[in-house]
Amino acid sequence: METPILLHRISRIDPTCLADYEAEGGFKALRRALMLRPERIVEMVKASGLVGRGGAAFPTGVKWEGAARQPVAPKYVVCNADESEPGTFKDRVLMEGDPFAIVEAMTICGYAIGAEKGYIYVRGEYPLAYTRLAHAVEEARKAGYLGASILGSDFSFDIELRRGAGAYVCGEETALFESIEGKRGQPRQKPPFPTEAGLFGKPTVINNVETFANIPWIVRNGPEWFRSIGPAGAPGPKLFCVSGAVNRPGVYEAPMSITLRELIERAGGVKDGRRIQAVLVGGAAGAFVGPDALDVEMSFEGLRQVGAPLGSGAVMVIDDRADMWEVLLRIARFFAHESCGKCYPCQLGTQRQWEILQRMRQGQGQPGDRARLEDLWATMIDASICGLGQTAGSAIRSGLALMGG
Amino acid sequence: MPEPMPLVARDAIADIITRWAPHGRAGLLPCLQEVQEITGWLNPEVCKQVSDGLRVPLADIYGVISFYSLLYDRPVGQVIIRVCDDVPCYLNGSQDVLAALEARLDIRAGETTPDGKVTLEVHPCLGRCERAPFVMVNEEEHGPVTPDNVSALIPDT
Ligand SMILES: Cc1cc2nc3c(=O)[nH]c(=O)nc-3n(C[C@H](O)[C@H](O)[C@H](O)COP(=O)(O)O)c2cc1C
Ligand code: SF4
Ligand code: FES
Repeated sequence: METPILLHRISRIDPTCLADYEAEGGFKALRRALMLRPERIVEMVKASGLVGRGGAAFPTGVKWEGAARQPVAPKYVVCNADESEPGTFKDRVLMEGDPFAIVEAMTICGYAIGAEKGYIYVRGEYPLAYTRLAHAVEEARKAGYLGASILGSDFSFDIELRRGAGAYVCGEETALFESIEGKRGQPRQKPPFPTEAGLFGKPTVINNVETFANIPWIVRNGPEWFRSIGPAGAPGPKLFCVSGAVNRPGVYEAPMSITLRELIERAGGVKDGRRIQAVLVGGAAGAFVGPDALDVEMSFEGLRQVGAPLGSGAVMVIDDRADMWEVLLRIARFFAHESCGKCYPCQLGTQRQWEILQRMRQGQGQPGDRARLEDLWATMIDASICGLGQTAGSAIRSGLALMGG
Repeated sequence: MPEPMPLVARDAIADIITRWAPHGRAGLLPCLQEVQEITGWLNPEVCKQVSDGLRVPLADIYGVISFYSLLYDRPVGQVIIRVCDDVPCYLNGSQDVLAALEARLDIRAGETTPDGKVTLEVHPCLGRCERAPFVMVNEEEHGPVTPDNVSALIPDT
């Protein structure tokens, strides 16, 4: 097994102790970054091939470049720590166990794009992660890693924390901005994209916690090193959240060349020696794959071939005892509850999907229900404003297909 | 009927509002969160105060409160028990845990005990799936929970 990178410090250092973080290489990347020109940092991130770990897999360096080029002030750096995708808990592990790394990475980003202010939006149900990050920000400020003239340079940057208040859709980047601005968390129509008009209408880089966690490593070890990890189209380490019917559920770090079977083996294999009925990859917004797909490579391309997105890295193992209907109904209920209601395809579509599934489950399906579902899925994909509506049918569709429906 | 608010609580609320007022609307969410930590739920009186302090229309304040599941516009228990019933927790028996809690508290999910002490809620994935089935009691984390040990989650009343 490779030595972990993202999980390197987790459980090894005291996450409340800045000296521990420094002793493990902490803030070396920031020192190095401040000696380089900001454009050089953007180039490094681009050359690394890092893509976002929050679900959409957008190239991080391209995003940073987009914001860096805007001749507007102020700009913002936002860390998306709202982690609410069912089956996903990797960001929590990073925030609770290695909070200084997020602070360091955001500061580097601020320097690279020319921002002086950052926000971390932490899921409301993560009080410990919030406390750890708040402490890390305070300690970093005291030590001169945040605030005015960082480490004697002419670069100033500071971070504020915000707590979410229980809404899955606030993980969508523009809904998250609305939430910080004190509004209902409803996604905005795009374009404009955040790099042009994001938080408070200003150019903004928003990245996922795990995406940021890669940054100090890239700055310290260089893009070539980063690219040497994992398969060609999917460089760098990845965190996978393995849950459900496995012996050792948890967060596992691996290059994306790992197969689903190997990942499940690392998580101790299927509980009670049962057979696998299905695996839900990518969370509620993801898709089910069957036991015949276990040798798939857990990369974007590998998973695409079996019709699943890597998404947030959630892997939920469903054994042969579980009732697939109960699983699908939970997913349908989730989307019906979490739809923000801004656009009709999703507002109505997620409700209808849940209703139809409930009656099908009870053996009271009506003629044409299957076609109605197909129609809903197509409409939600084509006409929803945000990813919630666009993905609300994905798991249900693949689940029904696996059940032979 | 609601009891009149103690003076210390009034002062604390006034402080919170004063602190967030310079942020205007962008201070609304943290302001409501901090006020609710004192009052338990966002009653009409505090909503009016926040509205005046932050200069946000009252209707918008209710719009925001109703949007977020962790903000309450009606009384809830001092203790809120959130039972995760999402897929990984379901696969590990969350339904039995929920049933045991409902039986023990003699209420259904979504309800508050008649003495106003405990509210029971079903929650989507709480992000601790490695500890499924997982339950939060206010900010305390419990998992894996079994139907037999749910009594330990319920505070002494
Ligand atoms: C409904 C919905 C929920 C989302 N939730 C999250 C989330 O909790 N955390 C996250 O990082 N990204 C989430 N995203 C993706 C963000 O919109 C955005 O793509 C991401 O923050 C970009 O960061 P990245 O490029 O580093 O992945 C969500 C998207 C949608 C449509
Ligand atoms: S797709 Fe759904 S969640 Fe997204 S904006 Fe439309 S109604 Fe809201
Ligand atoms: S499913 Fe219960 S904590 Fe994730």
